[in-house]
Amino acid sequence: MLANFQDQFLSLTFGGLSLGFIYVLIALGYTMVYGVLRMINFANSEVFMYGTFATVVIIRDLFGFTQQSEPATGFRLFYILLICLAGSMFLSGVLSIFLELVAYRRLRNRGSNKLAPLISAIGMSIVLAEFMRILTDSRYVGSPRVMEKSSIATIFGANLRLDNVIVIVCGLVLYLVLQQFVKKTRLGKAIRAVSMNEDSAKLMGVNLNFVVSGTFLVGGLMTGAAGFFYTLKYENTSFSIGFELGIAAFTAAILGGIGNIKGAFYGGISLGLVETYASFFLGTQWKAVTVFLILVVVLYFRPNGVFGEAITQTRA
Amino acid sequence: MLGEGLIFNLLKISLGRYPSSLPVPGGHDHERRVIMKNQRSISVVAAIALAAGTAVAIAPASNAAAKVVTIAYQGPLTGEEAQVGIDELNGVKYAVQLFNAKNKGKYQVKIVEVDDQGSGTEAAKVAPGTASNKKIIGLVGPAYSGATINSLPFYKQTGLPMVSPSATRVSITDPTQGLIGFPVFHRVVATDLVQGPALYKLATKGVSSPKVFVIDDQSPYGVGLVDYMKRGGAVLAGQDSVSDKTTDWTATISKVTAAGANVVIFTGYYAQAASLYRQLRDSGYKGVLAGGDGVLSPGILTLASASILEGVRLTAGTVPLTEISASLEADFKKKVGVASGTYAAESIDAANIFLSCIGKGVSTRPNMLKCVKAYKGKSITGTTIAFDKNGDVAGGPMNSFEIKGGAIKFTGAVK
Repeated sequence: MLANFQDQFLSLTFGGLSLGFIYVLIALGYTMVYGVLRMINFANSEVFMYGTFATVVIIRDLFGFTQQSEPATGFRLFYILLICLAGSMFLSGVLSIFLELVAYRRLRNRGSNKLAPLISAIGMSIVLAEFMRILTDSRYVGSPRVMEKSSIATIFGANLRLDNVIVIVCGLVLYLVLQQFVKKTRLGKAIRAVSMNEDSAKLMGVNLNFVVSGTFLVGGLMTGAAGFFYTLKYENTSFSIGFELGIAAFTAAILGGIGNIKGAFYGGISLGLVETYASFFLGTQWKAVTVFLILVVVLYFRPNGVFGEAITQTRA
Repeated sequence: MLGEGLIFNLLKISLGRYPSSLPVPGGHDHERRVIMKNQRSISVVAAIALAAGTAVAIAPASNAAAKVVTIAYQGPLTGEEAQVGIDELNGVKYAVQLFNAKNKGKYQVKIVEVDDQGSGTEAAKVAPGTASNKKIIGLVGPAYSGATINSLPFYKQTGLPMVSPSATRVSITDPTQGLIGFPVFHRVVATDLVQGPALYKLATKGVSSPKVFVIDDQSPYGVGLVDYMKRGGAVLAGQDSVSDKTTDWTATISKVTAAGANVVIFTGYYAQAASLYRQLRDSGYKGVLAGGDGVLSPGILTLASASILEGVRLTAGTVPLTEISASLEADFKKKVGVASGTYAAESIDAANIFLSCIGKGVSTRPNMLKCVKAYKGKSITGTTIAFDKNGDVAGGPMNSFEIKGGAIKFTGAVK
């Protein structure tokens, strides 16, 4: 088994990393909202699911690909992928702002307790998932292949596949951009200010509603990008994948420290790798057990996750 | 001709009505609502038929003397597995149309459609309503084993005879496992006890020094199939068991590669099979891909390209109507309006058992049960159908299929 593991180590690592980056982007959606509102946006998983469908619709209906068409190449491929990414991010971003308006804003303005928005978010999550279920007749929807899944290099017997490379590189870039956005821009600073102390931020003239909408938008954009990468990598989606991936990404966020951007990053990547290694070593049936045992052990020693809670700690 | 169309519409109208005054065991209101929801689409058809006008009212005159008998079909009519159920229901409809035409003025058989979405939990919600509808004297189905097991308590309690065209799980008729289907359950399809070893045989056919890697989806169906494969003497180079929600197959593929496998068998359902086959081929796997009847669905063709699915080998206990005879298929298409699908032959056989009993004057559940148990007749493929005391039929051959050029092709019995 160990010799096999060495042979397969790099393949597993590439696969695990690209899955990890999908988790990172969804986890960022959870973490941004939590950092500002101290609330879990349970509907983020459906924001992701709609992102995956946006890509499928663009590939299938806008560009007219079918299961039998030839994959695109060169500049045309680049252009199509860019439109898909933008489309998924746009839909998810808009959906996320919409969610904030219907499930959070009024409740927050009327001074409700912390539980009411939690339930309204779960409610919206169910509404969104069931709506898609009706639209798709509960079926899996396949995405036609736009990109040849060719290997661009072989390193120690492991294939470095183009789709995995795209997910990893773009995931990393998006993460770094978000980090700089929170650090440097005006809205980013306002988000951090509200996260530190809502009342003081308001007294300093920060428009709370604007900041909250902005946070949902940024979280939605990241989650939408994850939807695009998911469709690119796995080439199918269904109304139910939000739940699966959402729980995993939420776990990743908790593992790294929810509300902390760095936490989402390391949490997502570790989860992707641990899941993949554990599945190989112990059998895929042990994946969930291993992941959650590790989570419990980590929380035992670091109750707020590895990197703690606050979004402000991204300064470090 | 016009009359026939009207009768057909009337038939549909009757399907839309569910006697809401009947008590539902457990008294849960939502159960009834579920049934009603599942039949909503039919009610719409009924409404249209009603709107078609007065002609509807005139039609029954010719059939006034006919004795109306009701049977039911249960299977997935909506949801992910809907195609399987709709194909089977069409088989039942075909058999009933032939029977009604032959016995015009004497008998008129109606079909109640029961939608369990192929799921055990959904089945437990719709079965009580079907069980308590005393008009139904026989049930073709359920299509799936999990749904069958969860429906059985209700049907046993009310003595509703069942003949399933496609529930293949061994335990339902196994005396060593409590014989849970007895006495109401029967089936006209060979069990996974036959399918497991046949699948292994088909997958390794023509492969010199096969190294077989088996992946199940942790469902009772998937795990069982692997189990019977092993009992049948299968030699495996490796094995993995994954959740039926798995989308990332990286680890499993690494295991396949590490085991040096040249034959990969997946025992699960088609949606996942598509994503597994796809990722395996993308990782550079060149060997044989195979699967059981869970993968045998046209749905798989929409989830992966023809080049990826080329050469996938599948087994099932069913025989396509086109293979029995071209004229049968043509007649089916003419009467039902669409081409026949998976398990059409078995659904026709199952319906014919009830219909032959109805033709003998059976009109109650206890008599129907006696009649089914004593039934001896020919299937549409010409084999003899007679049930043993556990409800199994002496099995026909297990058949093989191959995906070629983006279509599922019948390739004969597994030998």
